[in-house]
Amino acid sequence: MSKPILTMLATACALAVPALAHSRQVTLTAQLKDYGGNGAYVAAYLTDAKGAYVRTLWVAGGKAKYHKHLSDWSRLSAGDARRLDGVTGASVGAGRTLKVTADLADALIDAGYEIRLDAAVEDMRDSPSEVRMPLSTANVGKPQAGKQYIQSVTLQLK
Amino acid sequence: MSWKGIHRWLGLTVGTLAVVLGVSGAMLAIDPVQQAWQAPTAPGGLPVATLVERVTRTVPGAEEIRHLPSGAIVVFSFAGDQPQAQYVDPADGRVLGAWQASALPRWVKNLHRSLLLGDAGRWGAAGIALAMALLCISALVLLLRRMGGWRQLAARVRGSLAQRIHVVAGRVVLLVLCLSAITALTMSASTLGLVTLDARTEPEVLSVIAGQPALPGAQLAALQTLVVQDLRKLNFPGAADPEDTWKVTTTQGQGWIDRYSGQMLAWQDATLAQRVYDWAVVLHTGEAAWPWAVVLGLVGASVLLFWLSGLVIWWQARRQAPRITGNTTLAQADVLIFVASEGGSTWGFAQTLQDALNQCGHRVHTGALEHFQTTAATRQVFVLAATYGEGQAPAHARQALAHIATRTASAVPVTVLGFGDRQFPAFCAFAKALDQTLRAHAWPALLPLECIHQQSGQQFARWGVALAEALGEPLVLEHVPPVPATTALTLIGRQDFVGAAGQATSILRFAWPAQGLGARLRGQGLAPFAAGDLVGIVPPGSAVPRYYSLASGWQDGFLEICVRQMPGGLCSTHLLGLQTGGLITAFIRPNPGFALPHQRKPVLLIGAGTGVAPLAGFIRRNDRRTPMHLYFGGRDPAQDFYFHPDIQRWLGEGRLATLHTAFSRVPDGGGYVQDALRQDAEFVRSLVAQGALVRVCGSRAMAQGVAEALDTVLAPLQLSVAKLKSRERYAEDVF
Repeated sequence: MSKPILTMLATACALAVPALAHSRQVTLTAQLKDYGGNGAYVAAYLTDAKGAYVRTLWVAGGKAKYHKHLSDWSRLSAGDARRLDGVTGASVGAGRTLKVTADLADALIDAGYEIRLDAAVEDMRDSPSEVRMPLSTANVGKPQAGKQYIQSVTLQLK
Repeated sequence: MSWKGIHRWLGLTVGTLAVVLGVSGAMLAIDPVQQAWQAPTAPGGLPVATLVERVTRTVPGAEEIRHLPSGAIVVFSFAGDQPQAQYVDPADGRVLGAWQASALPRWVKNLHRSLLLGDAGRWGAAGIALAMALLCISALVLLLRRMGGWRQLAARVRGSLAQRIHVVAGRVVLLVLCLSAITALTMSASTLGLVTLDARTEPEVLSVIAGQPALPGAQLAALQTLVVQDLRKLNFPGAADPEDTWKVTTTQGQGWIDRYSGQMLAWQDATLAQRVYDWAVVLHTGEAAWPWAVVLGLVGASVLLFWLSGLVIWWQARRQAPRITGNTTLAQADVLIFVASEGGSTWGFAQTLQDALNQCGHRVHTGALEHFQTTAATRQVFVLAATYGEGQAPAHARQALAHIATRTASAVPVTVLGFGDRQFPAFCAFAKALDQTLRAHAWPALLPLECIHQQSGQQFARWGVALAEALGEPLVLEHVPPVPATTALTLIGRQDFVGAAGQATSILRFAWPAQGLGARLRGQGLAPFAAGDLVGIVPPGSAVPRYYSLASGWQDGFLEICVRQMPGGLCSTHLLGLQTGGLITAFIRPNPGFALPHQRKPVLLIGAGTGVAPLAGFIRRNDRRTPMHLYFGGRDPAQDFYFHPDIQRWLGEGRLATLHTAFSRVPDGGGYVQDALRQDAEFVRSLVAQGALVRVCGSRAMAQGVAEALDTVLAPLQLSVAKLKSRERYAEDVF
């Protein structure tokens, strides 16, 4: 049974680096599995070479009550009071696609930074760091599978 | 708005949606029950360390152990790339099979909590829960009002079938339904972000790599002292991350354990909000105890029952709503009629009175009692007042008594006519209170207070005669209450008696036409009946039915009544003139307060004259041989010992335990039936002491005499007829 694919476009303008000349648009396309549950909560965020939190790119799923189930993101981003500002949307249904775009400074690319996705589904197992994907030009266009809920994530740079 | 208004309008509007939540909730209750049978419960005292040791042996790569509210243990792991969730036997770690959060399709739960409408639906569902809580609170107020207080709460419920279903089911499930609504609101408050369960973030803790190998879970001191009954969840440290920790969630809070040293690195107590929420979930879902889930499921399904019966009650009340025609304005009317009515039937009597007065040339204004007042044009005031529950005013007229007490009396006579039912201990209590208040405030009256029993058209007509005399006008009150659908019954047998005082009396037996199942489901044809119920008979030439007590039940296969010739009686003349094969027009009117409940306690039956008929019906159907004792009063055994041969046969068959007779017009006959009771005081007392039910049927005077005799007889037991009535052990059928 094929499910209609809904594309969610999320643009993290609020956190865009002001010097647009030195930034690039990064697009993440995450295709979810048909895991047979309610809509998934997904957090996409950036960590540096030491694994420290840099910024949140997108959080799908609006109920703060469930955000602790995105446990790595929730823990790492705890110090960022503005982590949800302008980067939240609806949870992502099973079999659907989440598309996240963000403007990132050139300096972050190929510098050991990593894009991480946490996922959680009601009544199912939390999946912190469902996907960890180095932010490198070598990774562009290469789909990477997640542990439980994400079929594949693809990185695009503009 | 009154409690009744709140209850009615919330029920009719939001109640429709509450049915959806109730029924979907009932379906969700299947899950806890089903899960309870799927896997064994972990023994509460089992150390978590032992459980971890067993699980790691059988499930390589276990990542998480969950102790479900049902008590079962589920282990999460990966088999290659494939995430797995399996039930595990806590006794030996054996894998029992795959676990699924729910056996139901997901839409059921989503329908229940958000009506499939996402976040807007969640607000809607919370609104419905709030409405349900209000419905429960208003229901409790109305229930207490109807039953007459907490102590009467368990008493028998009277009223139409829909009312009885609504009230009986209500007093059983009300508290659970209210609890469901409140727990739903608790859960909604956190889901909708109105309450934050835990604003803290998880502490930043890491296992400290100091060269030694990681400890197996079984050797962690923190897990050795923790028992399974407190465990909710245990997360294993990730295999790929050497700094990852164990994370344990218990009923008290959560902790992080160093994988090398076994030290508890951090601990967070569960917040109060979290604990309240956890309790709300357990109480709302029944996930921790399947019998509670069964209760919740039944209560959820009952919402449909309440909605349907409530709808019928509302419809019935609406059909009886007042529609007074030919009303004059208050200022112009010389006669005012004020009505206090619970079910609405009293308005029908008011209309009859208004029409009759109009015909005599009066200008009449009819209004609700709470608007009681007089004007310069007023010459006469009539108050027609029904009583609700244990002597209260009908809801709309609740403030009327206080309102009337504040008004200064004028010379205009105010006459009170009460409507009630003698089955209730507080017969016409509100009308009596009204009459007393009016007299205490010096209002004159045209006629003394009269109380109409069970909407009797005949009694109303008699009051009309008295009224016509007092007014000196040719006034006739013929009230035609809406008559239910009638059935033609055929006379199949009769036994004739000389009768008391020469008034011919007959026991008439009728058959009803064959009725198909379809007709009965649609409520057509003769309704099922039992001995003690009433048959309404509409005689030719009159639209007002006369009621007779039934001496047989539906199961007997015939309908039997005992009819005495009334001087000039239209209906009795018609009935006694019937030949075999003759037809009557009839319908059944239930008399639930008088019918005998199923029970084993002795029964004291006291009847005089034709009043023995329903009692004979009770004895005839006494297949269980409940000890029944009959006191029969007549004038002369040669004239009016109705059912005599049958009674003798029933004695022989053990359907009747003892027979005591009193005949007033023969030497040594024993006088009246109340004399026989006084004579057998010891015996009567012992029966009542055993918990006997008492049923009395006969004339008003006879019932009065019996009640007085019994009050004397029962005084040593500190009992009285009034007390027995309030305990539903004493009922009268008087005519």
